[in-house]
Amino acid sequence: MEISTEGIVALSKAIAIVGTGLATAWAVKSIGTAGVGAMVENEAVFGKALVLAVLPETIVIFGLVVAILI
Amino acid sequence: MSHPKRMTKVLIAGHKKHLETTIDALYEADLLHVEDFVEGDDSDFEIGMPIAYGEEVSRKLVKVRSIANALNIKPTDETVPLTESHVTSELDAMLARIDKEIDQNSEELSGLDTRVKDIESAEKELEPFLAYDLDLKYYKGYDNLAVFSGTISSLNESRLLEITDAYQLFTDSGSKFFVLFVSKNFEKSIQSVLTDMGYREMKAPDKSGYPSDIYAALEAEKSEIQAQIESLIAARAALNKEYGNFILASDEYLSTLSEKSELPLRIATSEHTFVIEGWVPTNNFGAFTAAVSKKTDNGVYITELEVDMHDEKEIAKIPVEYENKKVASPMEEVMDLYSRPKYNEIDPSSILLISFPLIYGLILGDIGYALVLMTLAFCVMKFVKSDAVKKLMYVLIYCQISAFIFGIIYGEFMGFPLAGMMYYGEHMPGLIPGLETIVFNYSLFYGEPFTFPIYRPAMIMTFLVGTAAFGFLHLNIGFIIGFFNVKSQHGLKHAVLEKLSWIVFEIGVIAAIVAWYFELFGTAGIAVGAVIAVIGLVMLVMGEGIKGIIEIPGLLGNMLSYTRLIAVGLSSIYIASTVNDIAFGGLLWTPADGFSVMMIVSILVFVLGHSLNTVLSIIAPGLHALRLQYVEFFGKFYSGGGKAYKPFGHLKKYILEE
Repeated sequence: MEISTEGIVALSKAIAIVGTGLATAWAVKSIGTAGVGAMVENEAVFGKALVLAVLPETIVIFGLVVAILI
Repeated sequence: MSHPKRMTKVLIAGHKKHLETTIDALYEADLLHVEDFVEGDDSDFEIGMPIAYGEEVSRKLVKVRSIANALNIKPTDETVPLTESHVTSELDAMLARIDKEIDQNSEELSGLDTRVKDIESAEKELEPFLAYDLDLKYYKGYDNLAVFSGTISSLNESRLLEITDAYQLFTDSGSKFFVLFVSKNFEKSIQSVLTDMGYREMKAPDKSGYPSDIYAALEAEKSEIQAQIESLIAARAALNKEYGNFILASDEYLSTLSEKSELPLRIATSEHTFVIEGWVPTNNFGAFTAAVSKKTDNGVYITELEVDMHDEKEIAKIPVEYENKKVASPMEEVMDLYSRPKYNEIDPSSILLISFPLIYGLILGDIGYALVLMTLAFCVMKFVKSDAVKKLMYVLIYCQISAFIFGIIYGEFMGFPLAGMMYYGEHMPGLIPGLETIVFNYSLFYGEPFTFPIYRPAMIMTFLVGTAAFGFLHLNIGFIIGFFNVKSQHGLKHAVLEKLSWIVFEIGVIAAIVAWYFELFGTAGIAVGAVIAVIGLVMLVMGEGIKGIIEIPGLLGNMLSYTRLIAVGLSSIYIASTVNDIAFGGLLWTPADGFSVMMIVSILVFVLGHSLNTVLSIIAPGLHALRLQYVEFFGKFYSGGGKAYKPFGHLKKYILEE
């Protein structure tokens, strides 16, 4: 089987997206659960919980930038 | 850029005999944010006692609220405010009357409910006997006959015949109900045989007449009672209509009294005097003093207190009220969602007014979605009365205006390009036939030519660099606001070292890069840039310590974070085109295949996919725009945590000014 450069590039892009995507999902899950828990106690923390929950999205954005640049 | 409303600390002191009038005056003025008194060991003052009328007021309030609950009273379009004298003069008599009427109504209602239940159980008893048209009186009262009625799991008539043939049996094929008349001589043996066959007795109701007639009579009675119940419920609704207005007004009147009666619990009192501390907007201080003095006949002493603006603890006590132009005021809701600014901090609402919709529009940029969401926002505003929701809808409308403008720039409608274009050597038709993308002979990065409308997937690299540059500008606006914040809080030196140092560092780095990239001034150019950067770095370390250096890679991360402006927009374009590919690209079905089952599947995929994408397109830009403000932008200058200004008093809604 011959491995083409194009294939390797495509695979690398996929790894960049999949890896960062999984990492983001995992982080959002943990933070989101805790955030909802905190909001049950005090609804006023919604803004802060939202900020914390969307923080890890940056990871997948970095993944996307890397995938585009490869 | 504005600061929160300036506040003046006020002290009001007087003899206790003036307390009630003072409280009335404060409530009417609706300006004083009362600072709760905390009892200390070293103070001769203690927390006051509630005003005497409070107890009675609370009792009545409980009654009013229970009536409101029983009648399900809510404000309607027909609710009109009543005068206070109207409410006070009629309150007691009215409450007693309404209470009585509700009691009577619910008593009658529960009596009728019980009757309906009785009828229903009588009907249930009668139901099995409906199958046999036999007067109920024939089921009992015989000297020589035994009667069995009930259900049986399997009836075997031959076993009865073994005992006697002198019986009369009625069976119903549908149910397992049967009736058996047999000579009394055989009662015992028949009983035991029936028990073997799974007999369960059901006695005929103790009535006479044909079951069908009795049943019909019961039904008639039931429907008559139900009509009565309905009229009682209607009467209750009429009560709601008749007294709803009055109850709402009394609730407001009593709540006002109750709030007033409880104010002494928040202030300092001694045996004969009281002291109230609080905050009044500086602009209103004169009017406030005049109003309270007039109402109390100059019976109380009102004075302004000095505030130590270097004492962070003291500043944290000052209530914060926004002071923005009307157009920027909806953004206050976005601020509150995060945290209200501190008193000595710049309120960034007016900057959000520009940057939030701008970022939202950059991400969404679609004429179709913008129009749909704008219509939605206007509808919500029409039907929802809440002020907070209205403000959020204004924010949504601002965002849609921006999304509409960017929609024109991007030439997008519901995820589809409006103009046709050449993409990867193939011609893609647009939604508007004949409209073609104009390609300019000019490119900034990677040979991607500028076009109008801009098709984002064809200009990814330009957008990546552009959005990061946009982020750089946005972050630096943050540093500049931070500079003014620190300057007013801790002085110029701190402001320069903590915030300006970042900008100096950035200028140095940019100068070095520009000199190197464009080969300007040779090595000297790079060296000058590097020196400026090092100066910035030294300032940063002096201002923020080692923490500052650790944050430098964070700045790069923050800038890259702005590339989501293109990334999120692209993702929705790609989802749309993927859905189109799956639905009509030949994977399931193509128009060339003609009519088939797969066509319906294709259409289903198309509709579901685009609905999902639409929902995502609506939610994602809002969240990402919010996040860029809260995390990246606010991180550069904002601390927040201010206390909301809540003046003692409230708007009269159902009570008319006299």
